Amino acid sequence: MDQGWGDYKATGFYDELFTPKGRPRVAARQAVNMLGGLPDGELDARRTAAEVAIREMGISFTVYTEGGNIDRAWPFDIIPRIITEREWRNVSRGLAQRSRALNRFIDDIYNRQKILADGKVPADIVLESPNYKTACVGASPRFGVWAHICGSDLIRNADGRLYVLEDNLRVPSGVSYMLENREITKRVLPELFENYSILPVDDYPSQLYATLASLSPRERKRPCVVVLTPGIYNSAYFEHAFLAQGMGAELVEGADLLVDDEDCVYMRTVDGPIRVDVIYRRIDEEFMDPEAFREDSVLGVPGLMRAWRAGKVAIANAPGAGVADDKVVYAFVPEMIRYYLGEEPLLRSVPTYLCMYDKDRDYVLSHLDELVVKPANESGGYGIMVGPHSDEATRRRFAKLIEKNPRNYIAQPTLALSTAPTFIDDSVQPRHLDLRPFILQGRETYVTAGGLTRVAMVKGSLVVNSSQGGGSKDTWIVEGKS
Amino acid sequence: MTMLSRVAERVYWMARYLERAENAARLVDAYHHMVMDIPRDSQPGWDILVRILAANPIFGEYFRVPNEQNVVKLLVAESGAACSIPYAVHAARENVRTTRDVLPDEVWELVNELHLYAREHSGNSVGRRNRQQFLQEIVSRSQVITGVLNSTLCRDHTYRFVKIGQLLERADMTTRIIDVGAADILDQEGAHQAIDHLLWGTLLKSLSALGAYRRMIGPLVEKNAAVDFVFLEPAFPRSLAFCLRGIREELSPLSNHTQALKMVDRARRKLRRFESEKYGRDELHVYIDDLQVVLSQVHAAISDTWFRFDTR
Repeated sequence: MDQGWGDYKATGFYDELFTPKGRPRVAARQAVNMLGGLPDGELDARRTAAEVAIREMGISFTVYTEGGNIDRAWPFDIIPRIITEREWRNVSRGLAQRSRALNRFIDDIYNRQKILADGKVPADIVLESPNYKTACVGASPRFGVWAHICGSDLIRNADGRLYVLEDNLRVPSGVSYMLENREITKRVLPELFENYSILPVDDYPSQLYATLASLSPRERKRPCVVVLTPGIYNSAYFEHAFLAQGMGAELVEGADLLVDDEDCVYMRTVDGPIRVDVIYRRIDEEFMDPEAFREDSVLGVPGLMRAWRAGKVAIANAPGAGVADDKVVYAFVPEMIRYYLGEEPLLRSVPTYLCMYDKDRDYVLSHLDELVVKPANESGGYGIMVGPHSDEATRRRFAKLIEKNPRNYIAQPTLALSTAPTFIDDSVQPRHLDLRPFILQGRETYVTAGGLTRVAMVKGSLVVNSSQGGGSKDTWIVEGKS
Repeated sequence: MTMLSRVAERVYWMARYLERAENAARLVDAYHHMVMDIPRDSQPGWDILVRILAANPIFGEYFRVPNEQNVVKLLVAESGAACSIPYAVHAARENVRTTRDVLPDEVWELVNELHLYAREHSGNSVGRRNRQQFLQEIVSRSQVITGVLNSTLCRDHTYRFVKIGQLLERADMTTRIIDVGAADILDQEGAHQAIDHLLWGTLLKSLSALGAYRRMIGPLVEKNAAVDFVFLEPAFPRSLAFCLRGIREELSPLSNHTQALKMVDRARRKLRRFESEKYGRDELHVYIDDLQVVLSQVHAAISDTWFRFDTR
C-alpha cells in the first residue's frame, strides 16, 4: 500500500512536488518514491515519532486565548518541501538585493529624505505612518543598516514563480522552527538524506552572531551580545532562548539591563555590572524604553534610546526600521531598488492597490469579492479579508473601513498559493503554503538556505499563521538536480 | 563566564524545587512502606507528612480530615498546592524553561519529561496500588537529572548556584524531618517499644540514609546514633554537616560572598555544638528551630547579594 500517494491530486494549483500530470518533479522523485514505498502504517509511525520528538525537545509556541496562555506543541508535517538549488540561487540574490535597498531607504528616511524630495515615494505616506519614529531622526547606525534581520514572506503563484508578499523588518520570528524542523526530519526520516545533497541550515546562529558582533561600537574580539526578550509569556520565547543559546549570548529581560549616566548599557550579573555592546531585541520598539516610547512599559529599559543614539550600544533591528515594512511602502520597493541600487528587481512583488489613491480605491471597492484586503500595519494575518471566501456582510464592513481610513488599507489580487503534499489524518493531500527566508545584514549579507515553510493545515485555507492553525514543513534546497 | 542575577536565581530555584520533589516523594514513599508494617491500632497519623512539609494551612484549604486518602491526594495529586510533588516539578520546569540557555539540552528534555510524567500519572497514583511506582519514578527521574547536571555542567557559576540550591534545600528538609519525626517518635516512646526501631528506620529511609547508616554504624537503629548520623556524619552526602560544607565550598569562588559565608559559618558552628544525648524532645525542637532560622538567613544572604542587589 502506498498510503494514498497514488490518489494524490494537486487541486489545480501549482504543486511543489508534483507536475500537473501527477508525476513527481525531478528533484522530488527520490523522496516521493521513498515515502510512497514505505510499508503500510509506516508514514503514520514516523509522524508519531516526530510528535514525540517535538514534545521531548519542548518545541512549542504560545497561543493567547481568553482562558489564559496555552503552550502548544509545534505543528509539523513530515513531508519536506523541496526546492532546487538553481532556483534558490536567484531567489537568494533577489532577497539580498531587496534587503540592501530597504536599508538604504530607512537610512535615507531618517536622514536626508532624498527619495521623498525626488518624489519617488510620496512623503506623506512615509512621514504620517505610525511606524515612522521621530525619536530616530538623525541617527546613523553602523554600515547604514537598520534592519539587520529581515524575514520576507514568499509565495509561489499559479505561474510557478516566487513572489515577495511582505517584508518583516521589526522583529521577524520563525527561524528557530526552521532549524528544529530540519533536526526532526533527520531524526524521523534519516533514510531520505541518503540520496540527496541538501544545503545545511544549522549555521544560522553563528551567522547571526557574526552579523550582530560586526555592529559593536567597541572594537573587541568578542563583543558582548545579548538577546532582549519580553519574557516567557511572549509567543516566540522559545525562539529567543534557542537563539541565545545558539550564539552563547545572554538572554536578558528589561530588568536585567540598566543605562548609566554616561549612556552605557550594562547587565546585572552575579559578578556585578557588565557592559553590553549589541542588543538583539525581540521586543517591540514601543516597549523598549519607557523614557522614549510607552511610559507604561515594564518590559523596557529606561534610557536605552539615549544609549543607542549616543552610539554606545547597537540595537538590532534598529528602532524605527518598521517604517519600511508598512504594506503601503511595500508597493514602492521595486522603485527603491532602481533608485538606490540602479538595478532591476530580481524578485517579483505582488501587484498592490493603494486605497489612498482614488483610482485604486474605486477599483478595490468594486472588486472586493476578488481581492485580498489587508490593513497596512497588522501582522500575524489579523484583520485580513480574503474576497473570494468572504460573505456580503464582511465585504460591506471592509468597504466602510476602507472609506473611513483609506491610508490604512491595501488590496492585492487573490493569489493561487502553491500546494504541497501534506500528511493529513491517514492520507496525503495538497495544502497551501508559503516560505519565510531570513536575510542577515551587518558588515556582510547572508541569506538562509530555504527558510521556514508554513502550511495551512485546513483544506482550501490560505492562512498559514501558526497562531491561526497553520503548520510547517522542513524546507530543502537540493543540489545537483533541476 | 558571566551570569545574570535573574538566571542565577532561577537555576537556584530549579535545583531547590527538583530536590524538593525528590525529597517529598521519598518521604511519602518511606511512610507508605512503614504504615504497612505497623499494627492498625498503633499507626501514627498521616498528618505528620503535612507537618513535616509545613503545609497545614494549605491542607486546610483543600480538606478537613487528615486521613491517608486526603494527605496523599494533597501531596501527590493537587498540582495547584504549593506543597505538592507536581507543583514542585512544574516550578522546576518553569525555572528551566527560562534558563535553557545556560543548561545542557538534556536537562530541559528530562525536566520536561518529568513534568509530563507527573502531570499524566499523579491523578491515578493516590491509591495504594499505583502510589509507590509513581513516587519511585519521581525519585529516580529527579536523580537522573541531578546526575546529568553533575556530569555535564561546567564548574562555573551555573553549577555553583545549582549546587547551593540543592544542598540548602536538602539541609532544610533534613532538619524538618528530624524535627517533626523525632518529636512524634519520642511522644510515643514507651508505648510502642516494639516498633521504635522501625520508626527510626523509616526516618532514616525517608532521608535515603538507612543503607549508609547500617554500613557505617550498625544494624540497630537507635535515636541518638540516628540523629547524629544525619546531622553530623561528614561522609554521608545528605547529612547537615556535608550540605553546609558543600555550600561553603561553592560560595568561596563567588564575588561578594562575605555575608553569605558568615551565615553558613554560623550554622556550622551551631552544628558543631550539637550533642544528641543531651537533648530531650523539647530541647531538640528548640535547637532545630534555631538552626532553621540560620538556614533561612543563609538563603536571605544569597538572595540579597546575588539575586536582588541594586547595582547603583
